Amino acid sequence: MRRGAGAEAAAALPGRRRRGPDPALIDPGPEERIAARRRRIAARLDAKCREALGEDAEAKTAEEEEKEQRGSHKQIEESRQRLAKLLFDGTQLVTNIQVAVDSRETQRRAEEAELKLQRVERLENEAKTNACKFETITSKWALAKEKTIPQELWELLNQQQQQCTLLLEEKNKLIGELQQELRSKDEQYVHALKKQSDDIHLLLERMEEQIRNMLKNYRHELLQIEKAFELERQELLDDNKKKWEEAIQAHNAQELEDLAARMKKVEEFEKQLNQLQVQGVEEYNSMKSQLENNVQTLEKQLQQIKAIYQLNQEKLEYNLQVLKKQDEENIIIKSQQKRKLNRLHDVLNNLRRKLTKQEKQHREENQSLAADYERIVGQCKELQRMMRHFAVSDTEKFMEVWLMNEEEAKGLIRRAFDADRIIHTQQLGLPWEEPRYWFLNNVGPLRHYKAKRTATKLAAEVLTESSCGGQEEEGKEKGKEEMASGEGGRENPEKADDRVTPLQNISKKTVKRILELVSDESGFLIESKLLRLLQPLGKHERTLMKLDSIFTALEIDSEDDLYQLVDFFLKYKAQEVAVSQSQAAPHGQEGPASEDPADLAADTADDGASSQRTELTSSRSSLDSLPSVYVHADDILKILKAFVRDFDKLRGQDDSSKDLLQGQDSSKDGEYWNALAHAIPESKLKLWDALMVALEKYHNVLAQRASLITEVAVLQQQNSELCLLLDQYVTSSVNQELLSPPVQWMDLELPGPEEAQ
Amino acid sequence: MQEPVAGDVSTALPSFPSQASLAADSYCIQRIIAEDPEWSLAIVPQLTELCLQHIIRNFEKNPIMDHLLPEHQRKVLDKLSTGLPLTVTANLIHDEDYWKRCCTQHWQVCDVSNYGDSWKRMFFERHLENILKSFIPNITDPNQVLELIPLCKEYVWKLEVDQFLPPVKLDQKEEEDDFSDSGRDFGLSEVSMHHYDLGVLITALPHLEQLNLTYGVKDCGMNFEWNLFNFTHQDCYNLAVALKKCHNLKIFKLTRSKVDDDKARLLIQNLLDHPCLMELNLSHNLIGDKGACAVGKLINHSKLEILDMCNNQIRHLGAQALAQALANNSTLTSLNLRLNCVEDEGGQAIGRALLTNTTLKSIHLGSNELSEPTATLFSQVLAQNSALTSINFSCNHIGLDGGKQLLEGLMDNKILTEFDLRLAEVGQESEYLINQILQANQERARL
Repeated sequence: MRRGAGAEAAAALPGRRRRGPDPALIDPGPEERIAARRRRIAARLDAKCREALGEDAEAKTAEEEEKEQRGSHKQIEESRQRLAKLLFDGTQLVTNIQVAVDSRETQRRAEEAELKLQRVERLENEAKTNACKFETITSKWALAKEKTIPQELWELLNQQQQQCTLLLEEKNKLIGELQQELRSKDEQYVHALKKQSDDIHLLLERMEEQIRNMLKNYRHELLQIEKAFELERQELLDDNKKKWEEAIQAHNAQELEDLAARMKKVEEFEKQLNQLQVQGVEEYNSMKSQLENNVQTLEKQLQQIKAIYQLNQEKLEYNLQVLKKQDEENIIIKSQQKRKLNRLHDVLNNLRRKLTKQEKQHREENQSLAADYERIVGQCKELQRMMRHFAVSDTEKFMEVWLMNEEEAKGLIRRAFDADRIIHTQQLGLPWEEPRYWFLNNVGPLRHYKAKRTATKLAAEVLTESSCGGQEEEGKEKGKEEMASGEGGRENPEKADDRVTPLQNISKKTVKRILELVSDESGFLIESKLLRLLQPLGKHERTLMKLDSIFTALEIDSEDDLYQLVDFFLKYKAQEVAVSQSQAAPHGQEGPASEDPADLAADTADDGASSQRTELTSSRSSLDSLPSVYVHADDILKILKAFVRDFDKLRGQDDSSKDLLQGQDSSKDGEYWNALAHAIPESKLKLWDALMVALEKYHNVLAQRASLITEVAVLQQQNSELCLLLDQYVTSSVNQELLSPPVQWMDLELPGPEEAQ
Repeated sequence: MQEPVAGDVSTALPSFPSQASLAADSYCIQRIIAEDPEWSLAIVPQLTELCLQHIIRNFEKNPIMDHLLPEHQRKVLDKLSTGLPLTVTANLIHDEDYWKRCCTQHWQVCDVSNYGDSWKRMFFERHLENILKSFIPNITDPNQVLELIPLCKEYVWKLEVDQFLPPVKLDQKEEEDDFSDSGRDFGLSEVSMHHYDLGVLITALPHLEQLNLTYGVKDCGMNFEWNLFNFTHQDCYNLAVALKKCHNLKIFKLTRSKVDDDKARLLIQNLLDHPCLMELNLSHNLIGDKGACAVGKLINHSKLEILDMCNNQIRHLGAQALAQALANNSTLTSLNLRLNCVEDEGGQAIGRALLTNTTLKSIHLGSNELSEPTATLFSQVLAQNSALTSINFSCNHIGLDGGKQLLEGLMDNKILTEFDLRLAEVGQESEYLINQILQANQERARL
């Protein structure tokens, strides 16, 4: 119970204690509040002082004004700080309650824990002691069983009962204590609840007070700040006003000064103006007189000029009219010209159009014509080619036909000759002589025989002739030629002339000389083998052989070629001589430059052959007389080169002309064939006719005789056959049977078949 | 009076030359109008007006809103009755004025700033809260809540339920059984003791960000019974499962609900790695050291920034676990351990953690039986830490020497702005000096 009471007291004490700190907690609030108020008052005083100072300082400089402006900021700052502090203090004040409650709670918990520990300890102690007591009681129960005496047992039981009641009492006491504790706790709880409600009320009060306080303070501070601002504004206004007035005053003074200066200036200018006026009047008078004079002179001049002007006006009017008329004319002409120009332009345009059209047409025509031309040229070439082909084929055919006919004719002639020979020898018994006609030897169509001669032959002839040195040969040759030409009839006399002239004109000597030179100098054209073979031969033959090989190398086949060669040599020489004669003085030397004349000579020979020829013919007399020695051995090679270069052209020309010419010489053919037809003369034919009559007669006689011979033979055969038959009959058996055999009565003796035969 | 007459005259004038009788008629009409006692200036209402009235009258059956012109909508909304069923209005009317009328009609005090300045949100949140508060399991129809879900799910962001009614007892014996913890294991009693399961509701609210719950009964008065305040294990399990599905939740408060270590662990197990949770408040519960260990784990497995564990039963072991978590944490900014029993061991552990931590800004260690050793360590913390702005050591036994040490530690600190040492037996001198330093720091912070 004591403990319980103690606990109660202990529980009560904290309550008092708890109440203790509360006022202590509350106390700082008012203190703080007072302090805050004091501070506020001090601040206000400070502000007032500052304001007073500010009022004093207002009249001072601008720097202080700035400071004052800062002062307003300071005011804001201060009030802000003050408010912050107030807020802090207020919140402290409010939260103090919570903190106090917290601390109370912790204390209570601590005490509770302590009490709990005590209680547990006490209960444990109680339990221990009671357990001990209980054990003693229970141990005594065993003794009770041993007790047999009722009194003892009763005593023991009483004791036990007392002890049990004691135990129970103790327990009950404990329970009572605990229940009392519980009751006190309940009371405490009620107290705590009350306390809590009180606290809450206090809290509310404080909060409200805080709010009120804060509101008040905020308003107050706001007022203060506004006041400070207003003050500042007032100061600023005053200051600015002062400044403004000062500025106005300064401005007014300035204005006055300016006015005075201006007045002075005006006076000065008036004076100047008067002076200037006087001067001006004087000047004006002088000027006036001067000008009047001038006016008079000018009026005179004006009149003069007026007169001139009138004159000029009339002149000009006249001119104007003239010009106007001219202008009109010009206009008319211009319009005409314009019209003309237009017309001409039209014409020009038309013409241009026509021109273009015609040009186009012509171009087209030109094109078509060119195309035609090309086509025709092509056709022409084709035709020529065909013609040449046909000509060749014709000639071939002609040749073949000719040969065939000739053969036939010759066969016939030969048969005729054979027959004639037989007739002569066998029939007539006369000796027969074969007739020799020129045409019998002829084979193929007729040609000029000169062409047939090869160059080598000619060379040989020339050489041999010269070696013989006989003019008879020459004459023979000439005769031959004439004969050939005579035989050939009039076959291209020009050619004959052409061919003959070089031979006639060029002396054999020169020709020979040239040929010898050629054979000597152009040994390189001959094969080395041939040269070796030629070594043992005579000089004449050697030169011949050499020439032969050279000509083959140079492709000189025909006589004409050779003549051309010789001719070329001569021409060249003549040229050279002419050049040397004309240019002997400037050109002392001849050598490599001599090729040019050679070329020239070749060209001239090609192009203007006729003119050259005349020149040559005219100079031939002199050429002939020129000794052949003049042809230098060194030049031969050059001449040969030039010749070979030009030879092909010449030959080409010649060939074509020759081919064309050869087709036409058929005039002699008729004669030739006639001659062939009349190979056997008339007299012989007559002889043959007579002979044929006689022979026919002879033939008839012979025929009769022949027939007679055959008749005889037939008769002989018949006879022999009859003999046979008779013999059969005689020899047959029937005859014996017969009474009279016919043999008996026929006395015939037939010749045997052998006889008949 | 004049206007209609003038109208009549003007209409009569064109026909006047044709018929004289009409003029007489018009005169009669004029006279009649003048003498008609029932005639009034009010013109016949316009057709649109009539239509709107009709719409308003029949809004429940045929709600027409979107097809109306804006001015007509305005009129309709102004005159619509607040008693219309929510099924009609919830998703159709977005006008704030209408919902304001609804709110003011339902509740006297309406502070719309707590509801994101949205009257509609306020209406639906408070409506839902009221339903939940008055929900009695096994008696109230659960459909009452389920029907409301599709209507309110777009508008509920916060749910603040400070009362859950327990099921009504049928048998007095069960009650007695339930009184003891052992009685919970019996099936019947357990089933009957569970509160409403929030799982269905919470998971159906897509925008839910804040959830404040208190499992208790308000204003029970003399009907007080312990089992009215029973947060059962099953309740806890249901809540935890629901929380896990609630991905947008940012603030979760479960206060005054007798949450002990096991329940705390169950809850926190489901809150681990929650994507959004930023604030957790488990104040005024029965969480001990094990629960504190779980909370310590949660700190480093979530984005938690504010943690309030005040008025629990955390002792030095739990405080050490929290301190260990705090040492490695970089998200938590505020920690409240008021009214626990951390004592010097726990206080020193937290102090050591704060030597390395650089994010915690505010710590409350009031009423924790701290004394001088903690103060010496915290003086070190004050000298080193550069993140702490607020410390509360009120109602501890720091002592005079401890106060001096704290003052020394605070001499070089430029960050701390609040340091509550009331009732900490520090001594007035040091308290005053500390306050001076704090004021200087506050000025610095303000600038």
